[in-house]
Amino acid sequence: MELFITNFFKEINEHLKEISPIEIAKALRILEATYERDGRIYVIGNGGSLAIARHFVGDLNKTVFGKHIDKNIKRFQAIALPSTDAELTAWANDIGYDMVFAGPLKNYIQETDTLIAISSSGNSENIIKAVKVAKEFGIPVIGLSGFDGGKLNEMADVKILVPTEKGKYDIVESIHETICHLITRYFQELINYKT
Amino acid sequence: MIITRAPLRISFVGGGTDLPDFYKQYPGRVISVAINKFIYITINHIPHTKKVMVKYKKTEVVDHPSQLEHTRVKSALLDLGIYRDIEIGSFADIPAKSGLGSSSAFSVALLKGLHAFLGKNFGRREVAEAASRLEIDILKEPIGKQDQYAAAMGGLNVFQFNPDHSVDIKPVFLSHDVKKRLENHLILFFTGVTRDAGKILSEQRNNINNKFETLKQMADSVYEFEKLLLKSDFEAAGKMLDEAWKRKRSLASKISNSSFDLLYDEGVKSGAHGGKILGAGGGGCMLFVVPPEKRESVKKAVIELAKKENLFGFEEVPFKFTECGVDIVYRDDR
Repeated sequence: MELFITNFFKEINEHLKEISPIEIAKALRILEATYERDGRIYVIGNGGSLAIARHFVGDLNKTVFGKHIDKNIKRFQAIALPSTDAELTAWANDIGYDMVFAGPLKNYIQETDTLIAISSSGNSENIIKAVKVAKEFGIPVIGLSGFDGGKLNEMADVKILVPTEKGKYDIVESIHETICHLITRYFQELINYKT
Repeated sequence: MIITRAPLRISFVGGGTDLPDFYKQYPGRVISVAINKFIYITINHIPHTKKVMVKYKKTEVVDHPSQLEHTRVKSALLDLGIYRDIEIGSFADIPAKSGLGSSSAFSVALLKGLHAFLGKNFGRREVAEAASRLEIDILKEPIGKQDQYAAAMGGLNVFQFNPDHSVDIKPVFLSHDVKKRLENHLILFFTGVTRDAGKILSEQRNNINNKFETLKQMADSVYEFEKLLLKSDFEAAGKMLDEAWKRKRSLASKISNSSFDLLYDEGVKSGAHGGKILGAGGGGCMLFVVPPEKRESVKKAVIELAKKENLFGFEEVPFKFTECGVDIVYRDDR
């Protein structure tokens, strides 16, 4: 049992070493610029990645400012897409599952915004469709992918790839979550320095 | 309506090495940071008027862009084939000719907006190149490309200008505490004197062959300056600026005038590690690197001397760094 546990930790550790700090630094700068110009940050993903996406939206909107809730400082405008189950099922049922992110994205998107797309395979059709909408508008795309990165890693402006063999969802998702927490910590410190 | 904006910048080291006469022989390098002072451009479609309206200090209403007095807007409109039904306005957080790269920020914001007006989505690099083409190739301004890139990209960067005319962009990633401490070490003054970068730069350009070794040293010192920032050795960084400023002063006679030399020396005497006149010199802004505990005394000493020198427009410009580059901040034309 102990070996099973330590092996899992070891596996995570080894993959963490392969993440590019430069790409994460680029993502931080893009998100900081988006915050400065009052742009919105959309976060999308399927399944486990959707859970990460929603968690991250909560962290950007609340946790980052957690120690300064009473102060009147500019906040993040992070948006989980689609933002209601009604929209999710309406797009999926009426139009097609490939449009569940691209469709609602078009309701909000402005040139000042940023898209964060999370997909372990990097090939989910609905994610790629949303990335194409972002590209049409010329807004930056931060891609969090795994395996070989897929189309998402090719298309994203910032390529945060957790390189693994195909199907290692547990490793990829764990590390994606860690990166989201790293970003959260970065902005918590930024707000501390600003206040 | 489309509204774009592009930031001004503080250029630390390497100015002048972005001129093609130099970088064709040896890679030019500049390290600069964008600040939260912006040039805003508004572009409005005014159908059926058949007019071109341009609003800045003056308001021009003409039938064809070739009749415009504003050379930059005129050349951009002619180049892009926009001949009528357009209204363009500009706003700036700081007066023009401040030495903070405002004219290139204007071009960058203008071209981002005009391309959007034509339904084209221009990326940051493309906008930087288009603005460089407008200013250097079309308007024949004797300037380099550093300001167009700084305004397009935003943030703190090292730009390298390669002999094949390509530009490498290397972002410098500082942690929050280093960034904050660097901001607290910088003090920026507007001298109240505005100048035309063109005149000084053309003299500088003519001197390039004589000064090749000096410029090469400047280009090489950019990475050294970057390293000093990364390890937050602002005293050494300030001293480097001091040396670079003295080298640059030897490049062209009009880069500085005697009042500015006195003010600069006063700043250093009252506690600054170093500093420089921003931009091509002769006017514009003055920057000092000052330990925070001496900030107030340096400020007081320099402003008092400026009054004695009859520079009544001389005042501090508070600023912060910005990660924002050129952006479309508003549009409703879809």
